[in-house]
Amino acid sequence: MSAKIRDMKSSFHILLFLVTAFFVVALLAVPAETSAQRFSHSSAGGGGRPSAPSQNFSRPAPAPVNRPAPAVNRPSPAMSRPAPAPVENRPTINGGSYNAGNHNYNQHPVAARPPVNVHQNVNVQRNVTVHENVNVYHNHYQPPHAYVYHPYHPYYWGHNWHPVGFFAASLATDAILLSIANQQYYYDQGVYYQPSSGGYAVVAAPTGALVSFLPPGYETTSVGNDEFFYYGGTFYIDTGNGYQVVAAPVGAIVTQIPDGAVQQNINGESYLLYNNVYYQPISQDGQDAYQVVQLN
Amino acid sequence: MNKKLFFSVFICVAMSSGLYAQKMRIDTIAVAILDRMSVMIGDLSSCHVTVKSNYDVRSQHLGLVKHGDEEQLYMQGPDKLLIRSQGDRGDRNIFYNGQMLCYYSVEKNQYATIPLSAPIMEMIDTVHKLYNIDFPAADFFYPSFVDDILSESNYLIYLGMTKVDGKDCFHIAGTMADKSFQFWVSDDGLNLPIKMAIVYTSRDMNPQYEATLTDWQINPVLPGALFEFIAPPKANTIKMAKAPVKK
Repeated sequence: MSAKIRDMKSSFHILLFLVTAFFVVALLAVPAETSAQRFSHSSAGGGGRPSAPSQNFSRPAPAPVNRPAPAVNRPSPAMSRPAPAPVENRPTINGGSYNAGNHNYNQHPVAARPPVNVHQNVNVQRNVTVHENVNVYHNHYQPPHAYVYHPYHPYYWGHNWHPVGFFAASLATDAILLSIANQQYYYDQGVYYQPSSGGYAVVAAPTGALVSFLPPGYETTSVGNDEFFYYGGTFYIDTGNGYQVVAAPVGAIVTQIPDGAVQQNINGESYLLYNNVYYQPISQDGQDAYQVVQLN
Repeated sequence: MNKKLFFSVFICVAMSSGLYAQKMRIDTIAVAILDRMSVMIGDLSSCHVTVKSNYDVRSQHLGLVKHGDEEQLYMQGPDKLLIRSQGDRGDRNIFYNGQMLCYYSVEKNQYATIPLSAPIMEMIDTVHKLYNIDFPAADFFYPSFVDDILSESNYLIYLGMTKVDGKDCFHIAGTMADKSFQFWVSDDGLNLPIKMAIVYTSRDMNPQYEATLTDWQINPVLPGALFEFIAPPKANTIKMAKAPVKK
């Protein structure tokens, strides 16, 4: 008998624990936004304009107890905005807002989407990839890089750096031997050498060469989403295993051009030609700089 | 013992799934406020606003250095725009009369022209893509502004009321994969954007951009000559460098 009572007590405790756990889990799983979603959207705009598929809200309105009203006169999304005047009669600055109150919530890219909790019927599904290729946020306030002439002053990256054509009778003992396209090079302090006339001549960096370190004094430059490293007239990318020499990326901006560049006058403008790459003088942030350009 | 272990695991999994679910929040109040703002902008036939911005520029030795500009923005639908910009990037004007865009550097007395015939926002988008020219607070003027925000945001939350320069504003914050952002929208019936801030969380040192929009003028009468560029004496023409094509 006592054993049965113990079993019943045990079962009761387990049941109680289960129920408690269920409520704890339910409370934890309810997202805070549910209390924030106090309005349902209705199509209020976009007359004559492209309309996204209507969002699929099937959730009942939550009780307005969890979040204080932010303001008495907070705008309501459901307010009926008068249809905008026809564009031809009163042209607006942007043709009118799209999809106000009728947004497609299914545009979020999959990669950035954890599943929305399903403990409530909040059907704001973001599991459809309809990623509009419109980037709201541009790179803000990058200035246009117009041609701005400034004189060319060959730059030297310290006493260990040498321009192309420089001859060295010997190399540092820790110069690194590289083999690129069946050619042998020596790399030392951002400079590439090849054997020549009993010594070593500085040559242009071979594309594809991979080095472990760049000397101090390199600069970084971005083109689109790609970051490049620049030292001694050579561009590199970070491969994770080292820095690899790449062709000069069109659009890259650098502050210095090494010795050996040649000025060329093209259509009345003076460009620098270095290692078969044209550099356009520009001004960036009030400082002289050069941008890699492709002249056809 | 096994039951306790089972329940412990169950609770942990449930809690983690709940927390995971909370990693996405789209607050419809925030959406509603932005909708209202976007609708208001979309109904403007002309406007003027002053945009004061400051932004970080990465310096190799100094880290992030603050810079700032002040820009006067005049727009008249459907295809006229004038931007007068002063600040750390120099004095620059951009004229657009619906047929030609002209970039003029006041300090250098140089200008470049780009033949272009398109409504304002199409022009802005085209010029941005082709020449990497950005326009002050242009984001707010995109008719698809809210859709665009929603398409990339992980979080979009209405934080409450606050004041910006003494003006009551709705404060909205959100995050995307590569940035966090905040908007302040006026609570004065017009619901125009008053301020924006962006932190580029995926860039080195997390540079920030911040802009306040003041002196809003709604549907002012703007003379057409405002948008016409007349080359000053001895002004030189320059060629606008095209932005590299993004792969």
